[in-house]
Amino acid sequence: MFDNITLGQYYPAQSVVHALDPRMKICLLVLSIVAIFLAGNLLAFVPVMAFLALACKMSRVPVKLLIRGLKPLRFILVFTFLLNLFFLQGETPLLNLGFAVIKKEALILSVHYALRLVLLVLFSSLLTLTTAPVTLTDGLERLLSPLRVIHFPAHEMAMMMTIALRFIPTLLEEADKIMKAQTARGADFESGNLIKRAKAMVPLLVPLFVSAFRRAGDLAMAMEARCYHGGEGRTRLRVLKMAKNDYLALGAMGLLIACVVLLSRVY
Amino acid sequence: MQITLENVTHTYQPGSPFQATAIRNVNMTVNPGEFLALIGHTGSGKSTLAQHLNGLLKPTEGRVLLDGQDIHEKGCDKKEVRRKVGLVFQYPEHQLFEETVAKDVAFGPKNLGLSAGETDARVREALEKVGLNYDDMAERSPFELSGGQMRRVAIAGVLAMRPECLVLDEPAAGLDPQSREEMLQLISGLHEAGSTVVMISHSMDDVARFATRAVVMEKGEAVMAGAPEEIFRHADRLVAMGLDVPKVCQLGLRLREEGLPFPEGVFREEDAAAALLSLWKEGKGHV
Repeated sequence: MFDNITLGQYYPAQSVVHALDPRMKICLLVLSIVAIFLAGNLLAFVPVMAFLALACKMSRVPVKLLIRGLKPLRFILVFTFLLNLFFLQGETPLLNLGFAVIKKEALILSVHYALRLVLLVLFSSLLTLTTAPVTLTDGLERLLSPLRVIHFPAHEMAMMMTIALRFIPTLLEEADKIMKAQTARGADFESGNLIKRAKAMVPLLVPLFVSAFRRAGDLAMAMEARCYHGGEGRTRLRVLKMAKNDYLALGAMGLLIACVVLLSRVY
Repeated sequence: MQITLENVTHTYQPGSPFQATAIRNVNMTVNPGEFLALIGHTGSGKSTLAQHLNGLLKPTEGRVLLDGQDIHEKGCDKKEVRRKVGLVFQYPEHQLFEETVAKDVAFGPKNLGLSAGETDARVREALEKVGLNYDDMAERSPFELSGGQMRRVAIAGVLAMRPECLVLDEPAAGLDPQSREEMLQLISGLHEAGSTVVMISHSMDDVARFATRAVVMEKGEAVMAGAPEEIFRHADRLVAMGLDVPKVCQLGLRLREEGLPFPEGVFREEDAAAALLSLWKEGKGHV
């Protein structure tokens, strides 16, 4: 019943992009967002798109998979595009539809905003496609660890995220099993109105929560048995280390931002 | 009631990188009134097969027939199929959810649309069948019971639908020896009372004791089928598949290796005792 849910987005492959340090990749994502927002006109998006295409090519992630990341956004994309198209101000009329007049400036701006959204999503998708969730939380923990000075629980947060990610497939499997077991007792999850369907979830959710709590208890016990006591003094099996490629990528991103700024200024 | 599987193949997530064929081209029949044991190594496809018997899974290829009717054909009432073939999953106590035992057992009958009176009668009957006292248990929370009791309540939840065939996925897994024995006696009792029983089991001793027929699964295929006597005659093949043979069979194999004329096809403790006794008497005669 949950067969068609792909868990996490990670696309395992051997590539330079996969091998980049997760901390650097997170920084690069932030910088790419900066670049996207610095782009002042449509032309300035060209180097950004070129950069994305190159990164995608180098990561060996199929383009189709990357584009699929846009699917959940398709309605909001179309909706905001149309809204902008009809309601933004402009001077040069382009097309008279009778009920509304589409202006040239509005069209350009609408495309601009839509493109901005698309690129934001694509860049973040590329990050999650090329970085295993555990590596990602690892990188996040290291990036946030300076905040410990102000008592921000960076390690605890990363550990919680790792555990949550680890248990998503387990709980899905469990949910599938319970759903089947209740179906075998004549439960019906698929028909009826909203209230009926919500009620039908009770026989699924109660056992699922019970089992989640049981698992949490077991996990806490197992962690304690191995002397876990938080992040303090904990060493790592794989220490994150920046390499030449990481700095190269950072340099390329710097160039990109320079290009974007230049193109926005010139035109 | 007869369940027939015709060339059933099931592939999980076909077309995705996680595609996996769990069972391949399985042909088998569950005859009315029999106690059929499904045996096989972990991952041999037993549980997937069991979920085909009541239509929870749809075969990727092949057909499942209930009394000659294809259960995935249009116009076949799935609910009725699930009522007739009761499926008890592994660790069924994990699916309990109601506030009281009585309400949980009543879940099935209620889904069938039975009246309150009829539901209540069925709950009483089902709890009695699994050896629990209605007056003691009905108003208790299922979450405060012992593991063995919880499992009985869960099985009662399926029995309350009055299935003609009961399919159990490792009903004795994770129970202590005494609860285990009680559980097996309970299932054997249901069989004697007329239910068709299909039981997935790892324990060959249990299969030898209770089953009237057994099907052996290996890597998704049904490789052997027949009476336990016949199956355990091929003890060496079972061992090669990584399966156990009943302790009595192991004893027989060892004795024959030592050159003693211990008869083949003996796998029940009582028969083995008789065979050993006669061997011993013969031996005495020689001395």
